[in-house]
Amino acid sequence: MSLAGAALIGWGVYGIVANVGVGGWAPWFAGAAVLHDGVLVPLVLVAGVLTGFVPAAYRGAVRAALVIAGCVTVVALPMVLGEGRRADEPSRLPLPYDRNFAIVLAFVAAVAVTSVAVRGVARRRRRTR
Amino acid sequence: MVRRAAPLNGPSRLGPADPRTVAGRFTSPLHDERIAAWLGIALGISFTSAFATGLVSHFMQHPQGWMAWPSRPVNLYRVTQGVHVIGGLATVPLLLAKLWTVYPRLWQWPPIRSAAHAARRAAVFALVAGSVFQLVTGVLNIAYWYAFPFFFTTAHYWTAYIVFGALLIHIADEWDRTRRTVMTRPRDAVGRRRFLLTAAGASGLIAATTVGQTFTPLARLAVLAPRRPGVGPQRLPVNKSAAYAGVVAAARDPGWRLTVTGRVRREVALSMDDLRALPQRSARLPIACVEGWSAEADWRGVRLRDVLALAGAPADARVRVESLETWGIYRTSDVAPDHWRDPLTLLALEVNGEPLALDHGYPCRLIAPNRPGVMQTKWLYRVVVT
Repeated sequence: MSLAGAALIGWGVYGIVANVGVGGWAPWFAGAAVLHDGVLVPLVLVAGVLTGFVPAAYRGAVRAALVIAGCVTVVALPMVLGEGRRADEPSRLPLPYDRNFAIVLAFVAAVAVTSVAVRGVARRRRRTR
Repeated sequence: MVRRAAPLNGPSRLGPADPRTVAGRFTSPLHDERIAAWLGIALGISFTSAFATGLVSHFMQHPQGWMAWPSRPVNLYRVTQGVHVIGGLATVPLLLAKLWTVYPRLWQWPPIRSAAHAARRAAVFALVAGSVFQLVTGVLNIAYWYAFPFFFTTAHYWTAYIVFGALLIHIADEWDRTRRTVMTRPRDAVGRRRFLLTAAGASGLIAATTVGQTFTPLARLAVLAPRRPGVGPQRLPVNKSAAYAGVVAAARDPGWRLTVTGRVRREVALSMDDLRALPQRSARLPIACVEGWSAEADWRGVRLRDVLALAGAPADARVRVESLETWGIYRTSDVAPDHWRDPLTLLALEVNGEPLALDHGYPCRLIAPNRPGVMQTKWLYRVVVT
């Protein structure tokens, strides 16, 4: 299986060299790993440290909400920025993405707040019993 | 028996976190082998599905000599490409969660222990770089943001082989450990389930807010999709406008004729009136775009096979339809026998009850079942039989 894998890698590299051009492709390929490991993950780690100051009762919900919001941002950002819009093709990116993105984020926040509230009520009820 | 899955922040995989090393400073118990294993299984499935559906899309557009794609089921390409794009989007949180989980392993010390270890790390680099590359270029491409200096489809296609090859090596390396850690129930209080559910929740939210661009019943929920079925001229989205393609004058020319030429018994040139005089047929077919959106419409026009019969084309003919466009790789497309013989394959003159809008290919376009949208060639002027 490792041999098959190595062969596929070789085939892919051949195709890149022959059909895509290494000069334009390689910076994006290596850059993807470098920016992920060197910028995105450190930002997440900093967020992890900062959310460590949030009271323990809310911390999990805050972190989960940030993780989900961050993932949605990755996918939605190109549409929110709208670089792909073209005047001659209004059916391309036809929605108000900034507003929609805000609504989705608000939905995530609302779910997080609700989950904290529900858990708080449940805990109080258990204590009073 | 090991009752606790191994943390990934220790000096060895089984030791406790060692604060003297960089890897040991990652104190979250979620940097954990069991989480990495479950996410790895999910990613293995989603990357395999993306690779398979990607190959389907590639070879439908560039069939090798021995390949014959069926024209049915009508919605096959619509489904495979929807799975490719929406599945790919839903993979983003899983990949990010996995890479965060194993991040301490990036800082393992010593960085290289042997030649075999170096080769394994090189394969992991190819896997990580390639996976992020595929998702980034894919996300940018469906948003029509061509920020990269290469042609998307070729780069995405060839990089897929590198990623899938590196994935096979990774699976071979990690199979036993993954099996062991998944089969061993841990007796600790690490909140794995919550972490995995959070990643799954992010995937689900992304899928829910985009899948409606191809699964029409959920269209109103697709608030973060680059397309909305029903939005566009004649309630149908457009990928390339007539103005952009530079065909406005030629398409409006009253002297326009559709010629059938090549290996035929008699060449024919049909005016719009000639086409309208032929038997008109209806078909409800989707435009299923490579970018993962699709929209159904009611098409009306002449069967391609009727026009070919008029010209006396042989039964084994391969057909190429040509657009008025003067440039671009999608100017022409091949119609294999299975497709041109299909009674649903039309030279469409109308859509949703009106003559085709200029942007939908007026005066005449191809519409066929189980076929990528870029091959539903618009602004036809010539049918070449070979």
